[in-house]
Amino acid sequence: MSDTTISAQLNTRGRLPIFIGMCVVAATIIYPLFFILTTSLRSNAEYKADPFGLPNVWTLDNYITLWNQYGIGRAFTNSLLVALTSVAIILVFATLAGYSLAKLPVFGSKYFTAGFVSVMLIPGPVLIIPIYLVLARLGIVGEYSGLILVYVATGLPFATFFLTLTFRAIPDEILEAARVDGAGFFRTLWSIVGPMGSSGIATLAVLQFLGAWNELIFALILIQDEKLKLLTPVLASIGKRFVTDQPLTSAGLFITALVPLLMLAFASKYIMRGLQVGLSR
Amino acid sequence: MKPSKWIGTLAVLPAFSIVVGFMAFPVAFALYISFTKTNGLRYEWRGLDNYIAIFTDPIVHQVFLNNFKFLISVPLVIMLGLISAILLFEGIRGWKLFRVIFFLPNVLSVAVIGLMFKNFFGFDGAVNQLRGVFGQEPIQFFIDADYSIAIIVLALVWSGFGFQSLLLLAGLTSINPAVFEAAAIDGAGWWRRLWSITLPNIRKVLGFVFIINILFTFSGLFGFIFVITAGGPGYETTTIDYLVYLRAFSSNNLGSGAALAVVLFLFIGLLTLFQNKVFKLQKED
Repeated sequence: MSDTTISAQLNTRGRLPIFIGMCVVAATIIYPLFFILTTSLRSNAEYKADPFGLPNVWTLDNYITLWNQYGIGRAFTNSLLVALTSVAIILVFATLAGYSLAKLPVFGSKYFTAGFVSVMLIPGPVLIIPIYLVLARLGIVGEYSGLILVYVATGLPFATFFLTLTFRAIPDEILEAARVDGAGFFRTLWSIVGPMGSSGIATLAVLQFLGAWNELIFALILIQDEKLKLLTPVLASIGKRFVTDQPLTSAGLFITALVPLLMLAFASKYIMRGLQVGLSR
Repeated sequence: MKPSKWIGTLAVLPAFSIVVGFMAFPVAFALYISFTKTNGLRYEWRGLDNYIAIFTDPIVHQVFLNNFKFLISVPLVIMLGLISAILLFEGIRGWKLFRVIFFLPNVLSVAVIGLMFKNFFGFDGAVNQLRGVFGQEPIQFFIDADYSIAIIVLALVWSGFGFQSLLLLAGLTSINPAVFEAAAIDGAGWWRRLWSITLPNIRKVLGFVFIINILFTFSGLFGFIFVITAGGPGYETTTIDYLVYLRAFSSNNLGSGAALAVVLFLFIGLLTLFQNKVFKLQKED
């Protein structure tokens, strides 16, 4: 516990109740997910006979059904495509803006910063109707370009704010030295700012990916074509149609949850760090 | 030679114009739409008609009241978040892993969380199966308004407390450890320290957490409602943000939905201003 200031003044006897308390809280989170996973790996008949035991016959049938008949594989790749594209665009624009606001002279930089921060306060529901109408006017309702545009626009304010803070930590002397050596804007960005801010950029990429992957409202209202639908709306409609087939819906739940869970498992360091900056606003 | 101001400004512009075009402008556009009767193609200026209709609409009254019912999740989520934060703060072995576990629901989509709870409380869901083990009849939870609200609140608490505990833990770790040491030397026990030092020292963070949760209750429930109950039974679990969606895509007048969105925006804006004021006051004392 050397890296944090934690009270840690309890004797061994006092620690046991704390540990048990944490296990209880953790169980309320882990058990439901474990239940979903085991349910998804059994048949409906078996689930109804004994829902709380482990499956007698482990089967991937639910996943195969979802894949073959309800296009969950296609929805999965659609979501991946939209989320990755959105994140890539956000990273490029936010890096440009964040670096400039952090380190370069910018006309009215105070107002730009204030603008990015204040639009973060706009509640999502307010945007539903006007965004739909604006995209309809542009003729891109029902297309990924419209949806990606929405994800980029709603992600950029925080992304810019976050990278401005990240890049501010880069020492001015290094940038000055690069300038003396004749490095231009893009060269400095590519060889110095990017590498030095890489952990901040990775954090942001993870957070923004999760945001786009998990988003439901705009994915639901903007994309109507069955072939183009993203994973979250498909999951919601599977849940509505198969109320009596819990193993099938559980399989859908697990597929949708899998990517974020893997990211948490392998990038929890980045996610936790990103939150700390996110909170400071 | 200082670098020119133009390069930096040009680099900010792509991000800024997207944000202005697809966030700031839509808000202004929503304001305009709210004064019109429109199907999205033709706009007829109607002045304050939509607003008058909203304020005299019994459904809107009920829905606004529903939002207040969901506020019950706020103290619950903070309570549980506080307990977890205090447990984590003791820093016993493995607390970092527990922190990640507590935070786990926050990386899941609202579609996943919502459907999980809809499943658990479905007619042959886990809860009814468990009742069956004890020889009780299954219940149709979602035809009952109180059960439906309770289930959504449970989903909110389950998925939300881990984030609050991280916020509160950040507050706890910023308390000067010397204060605890002094108290321990003076012979104050664990509970005494919790009550007299820990809690008073994080009251600002607690206030902040309180406000953001209230804001969330008024603007962030759409996904939960859509997936778990679709607003039913009747309008019993419909919240304002869900009603905006209903009005937008099931009525021939988008103006009414936009007016509702504007009212919601103003309400949230007032809460935010109030929050800023309270926090300024606290900084001064």
